[in-house]
Amino acid sequence: MSDHESVRQLLALSAAGLLDCSQERMVREHARQCAACAAELDEFAALAAGLSALPSPQPPAYLLARTTALLAAEADRRQGAAFAAASAVFAFALVLLTGQALRTLVGDSAALAWLAWAAITSVFGAASALVLTSRRRLERSTV
Amino acid sequence: MIYQAAIDESFPVAEPTQFERLRRGDPAALAEAIGQYRHRLYRYLLRLVRDPASADDLFQQTWLHVVRHLHRYDAARSFDTWLFAIAHNAAMDLLRRRPNESLEDREFALPAGGPDALSTVLAGERTAILAATMAALPALYREALTLRFEESMKLEEIAEVTHAPLSTVKSRVQRGLEAMKQKLRKEDIL
Ligand SMILES: [Zn+2]
Repeated sequence: MSDHESVRQLLALSAAGLLDCSQERMVREHARQCAACAAELDEFAALAAGLSALPSPQPPAYLLARTTALLAAEADRRQGAAFAAASAVFAFALVLLTGQALRTLVGDSAALAWLAWAAITSVFGAASALVLTSRRRLERSTV
Repeated sequence: MIYQAAIDESFPVAEPTQFERLRRGDPAALAEAIGQYRHRLYRYLLRLVRDPASADDLFQQTWLHVVRHLHRYDAARSFDTWLFAIAHNAAMDLLRRRPNESLEDREFALPAGGPDALSTVLAGERTAILAATMAALPALYREALTLRFEESMKLEEIAEVTHAPLSTVKSRVQRGLEAMKQKLRKEDIL
């Protein structure tokens, strides 16, 4: 490839400032003797300058508020989930401790009855929690 | 929860204290960061997807992803490129679902035509034509150009944002510029 041809391939990247030093030097030295390449380099430079100076589109005024509100809802949801998990662990420990106490104080059958009762109520509790969460989600998505 | 957005445009986001606050989920730090990046991030998204409603939506998605994955952010790396890479992924998901969107045509030609009577082009019209010509490039080419010329990102940073090798980034910038120049010269803009 002639000097002219290989330099022509580099003109756009030279205007973009993306050549390494030796390539950039080669372009400059060639453009000093080649009017065609010099003119083309000028055009690329004008284009690059134009692109750097394009007017920036303005984000809509509500964008900031809408985004922070979305993130606040997300933080709320996470906090709610952490709280629910902590309550569940606490309730489980309480049920086991009560069962253990009943077993020593009253007997095995009382402890078993308590555990069965706790199991039934927690199933209902979990079901209603799920219903509540999905309703909240639905409400949020329609807002 | 109420977000007190005390937005100070001059606050440097690279300050470690702000990252620590961000990582702890401090709502004020988050609102600050969103405020600081809103112009740049919105411009980048709009150049990529071209319609304001989608840019708007992707902007919010990007920040939601940021708060969900902040624990994965390595503070030794640039927050800019991390943030823009998240935005890039979200935008690519959207663009791939668009039937008529070409991300990167091997052989592409800018559509002919456009505003006429260019002999009377004023400075304002010239920039409008420049912007329209850039918008007509395939998505990955206009992305490379906006990251290079509007975001002033280095080659390595563009590669990180777009998950592309350096040589690919270079060739996108080159081909994008060459196509634009050819088109603009035909219309006597350059
Ligand atoms: Zn030459």
